[in-house]
Amino acid sequence: MQEKHSMGMAAKRRIANTFAYIMLGIISIVWILPFVFLVFQSFRVESTGVVGYVFPHKWGLANYVFLFSAECNFLQWYFNTFIIALFVCVLQTAMQFMMSYTLSRFRFKLRKPLMNIMLVLGMFPGFLTMIVLYQVLKTVGLTGDNAVPGLIIVYVASSGMGYYVSKGFLDTLPKSLDEAATVDGATKLQIFFKVILPLCKPILIYTILTSFMGPWGDFIFAACIALGSQTGMNVAAGLNSWLQPANISANFTHFCAGGVIVAIPVMVLFMFLQKYYVEGVTGGAVKG
Amino acid sequence: MAQVKLTNVKKVYQGGTVAVQNFNLDIADKEFIVFVGPSGCGKSTTLRMVAGLEDISGGTVEIDGEVVNDLQPKDRHISMVFQNYALYPHLTVYENIAFPLRLQKNPKLTQDEIYERVTSAAQVLGITQYLTRKPKALSGGQRQRVAIGRAMVKDCKVFLMDEPLSNLDTKLRNQMRAEIILLRKRINTTFIYVTHDQTEAMTLGDRIVCMKEGGYVMQIGTPSELFDWPASKFVAQFVGAPMMNTIVCDLVKEGNKYFVTPFGYKLPVDGEKLELLRSRNVEPQQIYLGVRPEHVTLVKEKKANSFPVTIEVNEMMGSEYHLHAATEDGTKLIIRIPTINLTEEERAKMVSGQVINIAFEGKAMHFFSMKTEYNLLTDNQYTADKEPLEEEKPAEAPQVAEPKEEPAAEGEEQEVKDE
Repeated sequence: MQEKHSMGMAAKRRIANTFAYIMLGIISIVWILPFVFLVFQSFRVESTGVVGYVFPHKWGLANYVFLFSAECNFLQWYFNTFIIALFVCVLQTAMQFMMSYTLSRFRFKLRKPLMNIMLVLGMFPGFLTMIVLYQVLKTVGLTGDNAVPGLIIVYVASSGMGYYVSKGFLDTLPKSLDEAATVDGATKLQIFFKVILPLCKPILIYTILTSFMGPWGDFIFAACIALGSQTGMNVAAGLNSWLQPANISANFTHFCAGGVIVAIPVMVLFMFLQKYYVEGVTGGAVKG
Repeated sequence: MAQVKLTNVKKVYQGGTVAVQNFNLDIADKEFIVFVGPSGCGKSTTLRMVAGLEDISGGTVEIDGEVVNDLQPKDRHISMVFQNYALYPHLTVYENIAFPLRLQKNPKLTQDEIYERVTSAAQVLGITQYLTRKPKALSGGQRQRVAIGRAMVKDCKVFLMDEPLSNLDTKLRNQMRAEIILLRKRINTTFIYVTHDQTEAMTLGDRIVCMKEGGYVMQIGTPSELFDWPASKFVAQFVGAPMMNTIVCDLVKEGNKYFVTPFGYKLPVDGEKLELLRSRNVEPQQIYLGVRPEHVTLVKEKKANSFPVTIEVNEMMGSEYHLHAATEDGTKLIIRIPTINLTEEERAKMVSGQVINIAFEGKAMHFFSMKTEYNLLTDNQYTADKEPLEEEKPAEAPQVAEPKEEPAAEGEEQEVKDE
């Protein structure tokens, strides 16, 4: 009787699993198709416009060669994006960590209200401020050709508000660690660098990844602040200019190749740091 | 190695919650002091104030004659062991123990000196083979040893331990308790040890500070003082297991004899207790009569001053029975009877529903005032209670003129009971 029952359970579970796997399979195919399409199109050399088929008739690397040739601004855009992402990544990680550590470890007046205000502010989409920011940056001359430093400032300015995830992680580190280190003779700075930071590796990597990817893939702000300047654009804005009706027939395959190249660094980063990334996201929930 | 002196130490949290009421204690050099009490009694808070991890709201803490109120923990020359060990998870056992030594500036230690100290501490604690492991690869007991190791490598004046054994299982706790006694002999410094476990307090402490919810110090004394002369009903019931029986009854005086009247019986008080009642000229009054379970004796044949009780629950502990019994008037008692003196036949009777005869050992009876719950035969200079107890004093100790223990500190919201 018992066995029969458990057999029933096993069969039920198998059916449920099969169903789940089929669903997941379908979803992942739908998800991955555009990327496959993009990659195939980037190798199409018989024409540069939009076509109605997926597999190229003639394969080649001409699109990639074009990207790196002198007649194209792609390298400039790529470089711009990289510089922005790098600066933002470093500054934002540092600021976010200082913010989270402060909010997690120190008790001061208005701490709770501050956290709430930042949380509520964070709920407004960032581009609401776009026009104001553009005006401000224009006044100080950081738009158009000089958009790169302007964009760095814009991205970094609000980074303290992203404290939430890393604060959650820091909260799971027992306070007695800080206290033990205090008794052992460590200063606040030593506690942070010698005790807390090494334990934060997963969430640190998560923060680095997200703060790199934000500006790397951003379009709205970059397009708005660069405002069509070829030297001030980042990749997203640049590639988008190729999709405008005037350019699309000449540049669609170039756009595809550019898209592939843009994806590469992020993919590489992810592959190396994936393990930590997962730990960082789930780390707050279960701490052994 | 140092004396520690706490004078009127007080902790008031934001919002007005008082965690520790005027705490006064002189700790001698190399003394082992245990703070014991139920959770929320302020014992850990007091320890943390000595460590410098909590601000002191009032009063002073002195270590070696120096007021340390405003000193950083690192400048107080203390070591501390935490309840959850607080080992650095990313460092190996060696690095954990070496951590305070590496931070030490004055004098700065060389790698060799550090190595020597760490390995010798590890040897004492029997963790030499684990030095390269990370804390997560250790068992609870081993982690606790590492935590103790980290605390003992430093040259400290005071060794603080905050419930170091409460995360361990019973067997390991007993073993570690014995090891702490050995450790204490070895490092020979001043210890302050916090626990909620009265067994740990009794076995480890030279003196025990018994505290009650709300941050009141109920009694300070040696383990046997607390056990034999508890200052109040609270201390009496906190110290000793199973808990002391307290029976509401009258203290009756006839001529120069005293009697107690539990469950309608009239039992004479004799021995030392009688002498004390006489010398203090204690007034007849309603009292809590305290009798420890082990001071209830089994009377095999009914005789004077014994009375029958019905066993409700029997707990066979191996070496002894813990009997939960009810008297004729329904009062519940806990009785502890060693099994060694019982015949097979008698043991068979120790079951639920059986009626047995018991008697109280006169010399082990305790008398607590009904109003104040203080022991009528001791001087309660420790207790700081909410209620002023002026009117009770004559009844308690009319002939003893104790010097004033402490003038009330700057805080007005509490009164020190002084005699």
